[in-house]
Amino acid sequence: MESLLQHLERFSELLAVSRTTHVSTWDPTTVRRALQWARYLRHVHRRFGRHVRIRTALERRLRSQWRQKGASGSAAVPGLNFQALGRCDLLLSLRLLENRALGDAACHYLLQQLFPGPGVPDADEETLQGSLARLARRRSAVHMLLFNGYGENSVLEESVLKTQAELLLERLGEVPKAEAEGRSRFLSTLWDRLPQKNFLKVIAAALLLPPSSPRPQGEELELDTPKTPGEGGQELVHWLLARSDVMAAFCHDLPVGLLASVAGRHPEFSRAYLGLLTDWGRHLHYDLQKGTWVGAEPQHVSWEELYGRFQSLCQAPPPLKDEVLTALESCKAQDGDFQVPGLSIWTDLFLALGSGS
Amino acid sequence: MWCLCCLINKEPQNSEESKLNSWTRGLLSHILSGFRFDTKEVGLFTQGLGYVPADYCPGLLKNMVLSLVSELRENHLNGFNTQRRMVPEKIRFLSRVCIPLVTLPDIEPLVEALLTCHGHEPQEVLWPEFFDAVNEAFLLKKISLPTSAVVCLWLRHLPSLEKATLHLFEKLISSERNFLRRIECFLKDSLLPEAACHPAIFRIVDEMFRYALLETDGAPEVLVAVQGFTRCFVEALEKKNKQLKFTFKTYFPYASPSLVTVLLQRPEDIPQELWHQPLKHISEMLREIVEDQTHGSYGGPFECWFLFIHFGGWADIAAEQLVMSEAEPSEALLWLLAFSCSPHDGSPQRAQTMVEVKAVLSRLKKLLRSPILSAKDLQAAAAESQDRDPRPPLCQQLIRRLLLNFLLWAPGGHVNAREVIALMAPSDEIAHDMTGFLDQTLYRWDHLRMEAPRSRKLARELLAELRMVGTAMQGPGSPRPRDVMRRPFLRGMSAENEP
Repeated sequence: MESLLQHLERFSELLAVSRTTHVSTWDPTTVRRALQWARYLRHVHRRFGRHVRIRTALERRLRSQWRQKGASGSAAVPGLNFQALGRCDLLLSLRLLENRALGDAACHYLLQQLFPGPGVPDADEETLQGSLARLARRRSAVHMLLFNGYGENSVLEESVLKTQAELLLERLGEVPKAEAEGRSRFLSTLWDRLPQKNFLKVIAAALLLPPSSPRPQGEELELDTPKTPGEGGQELVHWLLARSDVMAAFCHDLPVGLLASVAGRHPEFSRAYLGLLTDWGRHLHYDLQKGTWVGAEPQHVSWEELYGRFQSLCQAPPPLKDEVLTALESCKAQDGDFQVPGLSIWTDLFLALGSGS
Repeated sequence: MWCLCCLINKEPQNSEESKLNSWTRGLLSHILSGFRFDTKEVGLFTQGLGYVPADYCPGLLKNMVLSLVSELRENHLNGFNTQRRMVPEKIRFLSRVCIPLVTLPDIEPLVEALLTCHGHEPQEVLWPEFFDAVNEAFLLKKISLPTSAVVCLWLRHLPSLEKATLHLFEKLISSERNFLRRIECFLKDSLLPEAACHPAIFRIVDEMFRYALLETDGAPEVLVAVQGFTRCFVEALEKKNKQLKFTFKTYFPYASPSLVTVLLQRPEDIPQELWHQPLKHISEMLREIVEDQTHGSYGGPFECWFLFIHFGGWADIAAEQLVMSEAEPSEALLWLLAFSCSPHDGSPQRAQTMVEVKAVLSRLKKLLRSPILSAKDLQAAAAESQDRDPRPPLCQQLIRRLLLNFLLWAPGGHVNAREVIALMAPSDEIAHDMTGFLDQTLYRWDHLRMEAPRSRKLARELLAELRMVGTAMQGPGSPRPRDVMRRPFLRGMSAENEP
């Protein structure tokens, strides 16, 4: 077992090195050995995929490696998770192929190994050449389909978001639960490092993933970790609610209808969202001259926007809709339960919604 | 990609070769992992999480296919809470884009959705080459589609249906015609019998069979194919009984409905003793139509014959009944047999045939009592009388089949198979014909669940002997025996009755 773990560690280093200019010193024998290691690990993956104990041990070692590298701040060293072991030879080959520093002789050898050409029998049922061919076909399919959407592309944009969401949840699931605050820290790091607008959209997509979503990336059916998207979703919500800055950005930037859907799926979020809306509402006062509600400062949300948000919430199916109406009613009551417009914003909202719904 | 690899030089001699090398390498790596999203943010996101395109490409493709499929199905409800329907131009464009992707397994759901989505436009909205590509892939087994999708394909694009039928014909006719089981496999595999439950498809396939029959002058292979097809078709129809409800007239518009109903009866549902009843009925109805000079609405002799051979099993049963029964051979059955073997005969020729057959049968009946049968006896029974015209080949074939039937059923002692074959099958074509007949007979007995251990054994022995003889006679590279059992008059028959 220990030798296996060492092997794993050495391979991760190898993978890291394959991106650097160090490969210029490699000759065909080195390439051959590297590919052999990769093939061995792929075999390990296949054999022990269902063997829980070995698998957990391997995963733990991989994770610790990744965290070390990440902590030391070295530039983007992708982590290997157990699933990726299933295609580690593919990953290694691609890296070497992309690396310009690889010498001609070594490269030639590599290509011979990768593409032996038609009609070469292989004992392995899934040849590397086959996987590469499949990857190339899939990639071109993705590009052709992306190209297809002229004009509105939002259907395909949505699938891109959904894929990112699945990736996010997969990574999130790898952070061990036992660690206190491990997942929140992970998410906060991501928030700081990654483009934020996109990140918000991805979070929303992740919160809307169907609960029985199958394993995102693995081609093989594995007895995967028991973490489901539902659980990951919960973690996301908790983190979101804990970070008021992120929450504010989330609620400001994303489309109103999307927020309503998210609120419909996650009751904790809907409560926080309502709280935020009531907060915003309190900043508005009635301007007698204009005859409408305005905010004191420019960054305050306008009446129209507030109304729009409440309206979309009320278009949601019953549990959420009733919750929203109840909240509005209680605010209205707190304010004095006026029936006449112009005195309490909650009355006005209630009236406006009532005529609409 | 392999070809590209061959371009790469192991030891580049000069800077140009190095540049070529590096260009090729760049191209290869681009093919495999170049990924360009519209915004940089997505790339940064995935990289930040530690993923490379090879990791998420399959998942991304799957999600894209899923959302396109659900959009096509008009029940697309995404997080934006809107219902989206694809406009026709977009569907068209999508079908065009899918043409080179048709054989990729991940794209199958999308292909299926495109085929089964019924737009609201009166014209066909999909790109025609899309249908061609899908049909090709289906025929070459590079894509697996549910039957409903294939039926939609064929209903929407006639050339695909025609190609599929021709493809089936090629398989049926080039394969060894003697293996009926294999023919049945091919038929079921092709999905055509099941698709033919839809009358439009049935009519087109039937029409193609009709032309094939005419073009080949009634070649036996085509006859067998028609029968096999009809059998599988009827089976599929019965399975679908609850769902599709078309009257028989939609499938056989030029036939009398009562005739069709009788023909569609399954012999296995009727007790053996009562088989003579439907046979008599069929014979009478056919005779009425054929001999009616005014050529009523049910087409002429050819149409009748074409309809009848769909259900060729009845003719075989008629022959068996004639041979097995002790009674005087019935006129109806004789007429039926004569008609099925040569439909183009005028009344006098047919009458002549019937007389000949009757004579042979009466001689055979005498042999029924004898404990031992020899090949010579059979030959004597089948001998032509000297003072009449020689029998036409089709009549010969009929007599031969009757003899074989007799041989299989007569209680008389063991007969030397080799002797029989030597005497009865002097030529390649005849041997071929007899092999086909025996194979069909065994097949029919299986379907009707007839217990006849002795007969079966004999039939198998004869078959084995024939096959040995066949391989001996056939040298390497020799062409397949041309059948003399053709009916070149068919064309004349059908021309006047072209609907």
